[in-house]
Amino acid sequence: MSGELIRIITAHDESTRNRSLDAWCRTASASELLDECASLESFRKRSGNLYEQVRALFFLYAIHRFHLPARLASGPDGQGRIPYLGHAHLLQRRFEESIQVFLGAQAADGPSAGLSSALAEAYHELGFQTLADQVRRSVRSVRGNQWMFRIGHPMDQPLRIRPELREPSGEGLFPILREATPVRMDLSHSAWSDIFFLGMDFPEGARVLNVSIDLAVHGRDPQPRPPVEAYLRVIDEPVLRLVSVDLNTVAEITTVAEVFDYARDYLGLLKAAVIASGLVPPGMEGSGERLDGPNGLLTRLVGPGRGLELVSNVNGIPKGSRLAVSTNLLASLITCCMRATGQAGTLTGQLTEPERRLVAARAILGEWLAGSGGGWQDSGGVWPDMKLITGVAAGPDDPEHGVSRGRLLPQHHIFTRDEITEDTRRKLQDSLILFHGGMAQNVGPILQQVTEKYLLRSEVEWRARQDAIALLREIETLLHAGDVRGIGAATTRNFMGPIQAIIPRATTLFTERLIERAQAAFGPDFWGFWMLGGASGGGMGLIVDPRRREAAKAALPELLGRAKRELEQALPFAMEPVVYDFAINTRGTWGELVTGAAALMPAGYYTLTTPALLRRDPGQLSPGRRLELDRFAAACRVDPALAGMVQTLFDRVMPRAGAAAGAGQDLQAVLDELGFDRAQHEQIRADLRQGRIGLAHNRLPASTEITDVRAGDVAHSDALPDAASLRAEGEAALRAGAVAVVTLAAGVGSRWTEGAGVVKAINPFVKLGGRHRTFLEIHLAKSRRIGQAAGSWLPHLITTSYLTNGAIRDFLDQHGDYRYPGPLRLSPGRAVGLRIVPMARDLRFAWEEQPQQLLDERQQKMRESVHAALINWARATGEGSDYVDNVPLQCLHPVGHWFEIPNLLRNGVLAGLLRERPALKTLMLHNVDAIGADVDPIVLGWHLRSGATLNVEVIARQIEDRGGGLARIDDRVRLVEGLALPGEEDEFQLSYYNSNTFWIDLDRLLAVFGLTRADLDHELRVAEAIRALAARMPTYITLKDVKKRWGYGQEDVFPVAQFEKLWGDMTALPEVETGYIVVPRRRGQNLKDVAQLDGWLRDGSAAYVETLCAWGEA
Amino acid sequence: MRIPRAVITAAGRNQRALPLQTVVDRDGRAKAVLDILIEEAIAAGAEEVAIVVAPGDEARYAETVGAHAARLAFIPQPEPRGYGDAVLCARDFVGQEAFLHLVGDHLYIGGPDHSCARELVALATAEGCSVSAVQATREHLLPAFGVVGGRRVPGRQDLYVVEAVVEKPTPTEAEMRLLVPGLRAGHYLCFFGMHVLTPAVMDILAAMPGNAATGRAASLSEALAILATREKYLALEERTRRYDLGDRYGLLTAQLALALSGQDRENVLARLLEMLAQRETASAGRTG
Repeated sequence: MSGELIRIITAHDESTRNRSLDAWCRTASASELLDECASLESFRKRSGNLYEQVRALFFLYAIHRFHLPARLASGPDGQGRIPYLGHAHLLQRRFEESIQVFLGAQAADGPSAGLSSALAEAYHELGFQTLADQVRRSVRSVRGNQWMFRIGHPMDQPLRIRPELREPSGEGLFPILREATPVRMDLSHSAWSDIFFLGMDFPEGARVLNVSIDLAVHGRDPQPRPPVEAYLRVIDEPVLRLVSVDLNTVAEITTVAEVFDYARDYLGLLKAAVIASGLVPPGMEGSGERLDGPNGLLTRLVGPGRGLELVSNVNGIPKGSRLAVSTNLLASLITCCMRATGQAGTLTGQLTEPERRLVAARAILGEWLAGSGGGWQDSGGVWPDMKLITGVAAGPDDPEHGVSRGRLLPQHHIFTRDEITEDTRRKLQDSLILFHGGMAQNVGPILQQVTEKYLLRSEVEWRARQDAIALLREIETLLHAGDVRGIGAATTRNFMGPIQAIIPRATTLFTERLIERAQAAFGPDFWGFWMLGGASGGGMGLIVDPRRREAAKAALPELLGRAKRELEQALPFAMEPVVYDFAINTRGTWGELVTGAAALMPAGYYTLTTPALLRRDPGQLSPGRRLELDRFAAACRVDPALAGMVQTLFDRVMPRAGAAAGAGQDLQAVLDELGFDRAQHEQIRADLRQGRIGLAHNRLPASTEITDVRAGDVAHSDALPDAASLRAEGEAALRAGAVAVVTLAAGVGSRWTEGAGVVKAINPFVKLGGRHRTFLEIHLAKSRRIGQAAGSWLPHLITTSYLTNGAIRDFLDQHGDYRYPGPLRLSPGRAVGLRIVPMARDLRFAWEEQPQQLLDERQQKMRESVHAALINWARATGEGSDYVDNVPLQCLHPVGHWFEIPNLLRNGVLAGLLRERPALKTLMLHNVDAIGADVDPIVLGWHLRSGATLNVEVIARQIEDRGGGLARIDDRVRLVEGLALPGEEDEFQLSYYNSNTFWIDLDRLLAVFGLTRADLDHELRVAEAIRALAARMPTYITLKDVKKRWGYGQEDVFPVAQFEKLWGDMTALPEVETGYIVVPRRRGQNLKDVAQLDGWLRDGSAAYVETLCAWGEA
Repeated sequence: MRIPRAVITAAGRNQRALPLQTVVDRDGRAKAVLDILIEEAIAAGAEEVAIVVAPGDEARYAETVGAHAARLAFIPQPEPRGYGDAVLCARDFVGQEAFLHLVGDHLYIGGPDHSCARELVALATAEGCSVSAVQATREHLLPAFGVVGGRRVPGRQDLYVVEAVVEKPTPTEAEMRLLVPGLRAGHYLCFFGMHVLTPAVMDILAAMPGNAATGRAASLSEALAILATREKYLALEERTRRYDLGDRYGLLTAQLALALSGQDRENVLARLLEMLAQRETASAGRTG
């Protein structure tokens, strides 16, 4: 009966309201699901309650994403094509309009998997947009924040810098307000219950044990201290000077516009603090006003001719520590600015509880402004000590009342010494070892996935959530009882149980290896593992017997270092592991006013700013600056903390010769070793600079006729006539050793780790059969199963490049080739390209002319700011110049997978295999991320019977399948790259997407190259043949994101230009006879993005792949 | 409740000359500002008026406002310890009765038959409690005023029960503590410089420690914040305009306002227009 799901959403009793959608859908038919969708669609529009709307949206998303497609029979060609107009609305964030277009198509053409994928996307986006809008409204409507949105002109600025800061002391230096703030540690891993949306949906479940801590890097710093600091002072120049000591950046700002340009430099966090504290109120964005001048904002704030300086300092704590360093730094900066303007009652010491709450609200505002966002426990460092933070039901006085069940801001209970004794606190400090494993991961998708799963009340995850809530209460009890060993056991259970059940990706092979080895090393003295925050691999903790703590601390760096070395090509590491010393902070954020001769900034500030000042004519320095340098020089002579400063400064002013040149020399050596073709590179560079090639030139001429394929152009794997005999033919070929698998693994899969340079083939990305598995292991397991069944082991060839060859070789050696019983060969690549700083016109083409997904308002502003900064970077570095400002391997690029097949012919690997297996006739070629592809005997039999040179597997297009597909181009059926399509709408008329799995008739392919098997022993002949065919293949210019790492775990992403030739273009050659077969999605889909992983695990695809595998373990 | 006395503070060390300035009143008579204030207090029913002055200023003041000498008392404030202390200096003068209080550097200009002080006194008498005149003021002016928070008295658009008082709050604090339902966004009830206060205020001021570092006594706002917690305390929203003579061009603006609301209105307007027209003509001549 239709309306059942609405009853779940609107139920007053908890057991009904918390019923799982998945459980209900499992027994429903397609027509029942469609009826429910229709009811939910009209319900969500008429419901005035935010959470009813949002749950209905998530229900609709989940039905279309996970339940409906499997129940829809694959229809005739063309049906279920996704209307471009709906997609265009999606790109522009007009979600309601896109839903109406897709529903209209569904009504006209009937439901289909493609349309369901589009509807799922639109409902998903609208759901999150609705939630984000609500958080935004709540943040703005917090009392104490509202006024800042009304202030639009400097003359309206009601804040004034406090008089204590406005007058220089007797020594002539302005006093400095210094804020020192601890970071926060989540004592239990809250199972992400502190995500704003979740606290607002289910405040009862939002519960976190949170500790404010001081940190030191073990072996580097003398003792733990508050890791983040903010400094503020008045200066005698009318500028807003922002200085990030930790990120080595200084800016002197004189316009309001620049304050709102977050991504222009590394000062986004300081700018967000300046805005969220009301110094430059958010209402002034876009006002075009100045900070300096008689009517400027600074004059109003601090008086004519004067300015403000705000400095941030993080004491060497790496990024990704999972200790909310950046949120607490933001909170620290905001606190400092609020004290300076009288918005906090006292200039120094602790804050009062209402002030802390306001700082927390302002930190949320700041994060929203800068387009980021964490959880509500993150500003926990503002509070002192150990505390319980809980969600609160919205009351009649709250702005959330009647809109959401919970309030945006939680409440904090600081544990008394009676609740948790001094002894327990000491024991906890003596048992816990905190460290940073060195991994850097984007946890953004995890937060979305958790939100979605909780709101859907998915069975496993909802049960796990209840377990996590129970575990937290258990840890609370253990804390009261002082049982630290018990706490260790509980946090381990939390990690192994609920956390991984909710987000399987929360664990990594690195983490598990560490836990295993720590357990082995410390035996019964190992009390437990402690996971901090979003995903493991970065900040983590071990709990050991206090008597073994020092020994464990001493042993840990080696343990971490070894595990990192084993996995550093396979997992994204941003830095060397670090072990911390820590102490519970009992003060929370703390302000001090430093006056007189002591009113100096931290030492790092002078290292950063002094070289530029020394280069200036002393006469140009302001009197305050001259005086300060004088005082600083005096302090250097007497303050032991500043010993060595003179040398440091000298090194800064005169960088040592050779240090900068080193990287360039390494790169040249690598290029020489890899046989880099400088002449070809120069030609490409010149063409790029002169505009002969570029992103816009990748496209086919606009006059090209592009249409969808016709019914007879493709076969359907699930409807092949005479499947039994096809299977028999395929099995016979397998038995005869006529087939080999080629896995394309020369690329690193830059989307997978967002340009981190990790080798995707060996990335242990998922647990299957109880263990972490890499892409390669899964492919080998599928080949093992096929080989077992055929009674003949399949040869497996892996194409590699300079980027991946060594890493894959080492990894396979480490793992004994995964015990693969058949021939397993690497085919090293012979071609390499050098990345190029992109042309500004190509960046503009990609970002401004190509349709782009518009982001949420703040994120969009952030992105525009980033794009402007990167275009400036390209101009400043030199458009079309060699990209050399990175480690050598990040400067090089593989030149597209077209070359990987010819390489097989040229490097002797295929020739060698043919000597062993002369019957070899068919190659199945697939992408490393085509995770469901295997040598299916039926498809193999069909390929053999077709007599074609190539057969290509395609899949019915869904909304996320972007980048070309199968088309009739000027009446020839062929694959076309997305890069080559003249208009975006062209792609949406193509029903099928290329899975890039090819069945290749070896002899016919050789013939295309003008070769025979006998020629494979003549490298020169092969090379000539390849060059001749390569010349007929189009060259694409592409932009790739590449990460540059620096500092303590910091990463920048740059777009670089490179060129590629792609294998799919072989289908355009008239002499290459090609066939196409539509395969199920679970077989044909490629996992390109980590964010796809969760859906892949949930929609049955992973379980399907597991059925294809025979694992190699004993 | 009887309100037989008024206290005018004029002891601010940087504004001692302001109350002595001469302006032309609505009826076209030249008068000292102080005269106008005293007349306002008398019209509101004050039988005696005390003026708190800096030591040594008594004679100058007495000379200026000789016409009202019989009702006047001058009270010197020995040390410059702030506004709260100046009010406290009149403690003996007011005794155990409520009093009207005005600041000496403001002029209040309403309609022809409207007297803010009279309205305030009538209300305080009827309600039997302290009443402060307040005015809805935009938040960017908060650094200049004492601000009250509270709620509207049912059935009255212009009367509020005061629940909190903060001197020169930040907008953040104002929004958290001083929002008054019924006012426009970004507006707060700021003091107008005119109050009817019960003698309890004097007790509170006397008991407050003040600031040891600056040597200043507690502010009147701090005392009124306590008053609001102890007894009924109302705020009356005034539509009258108030002119702070200490502002830049404050005296000139006040004079213009007086003139434009009095018998010489047409004459003054004509002169202003003439002045503007001459400027325009001269300027056109230069550029043309």
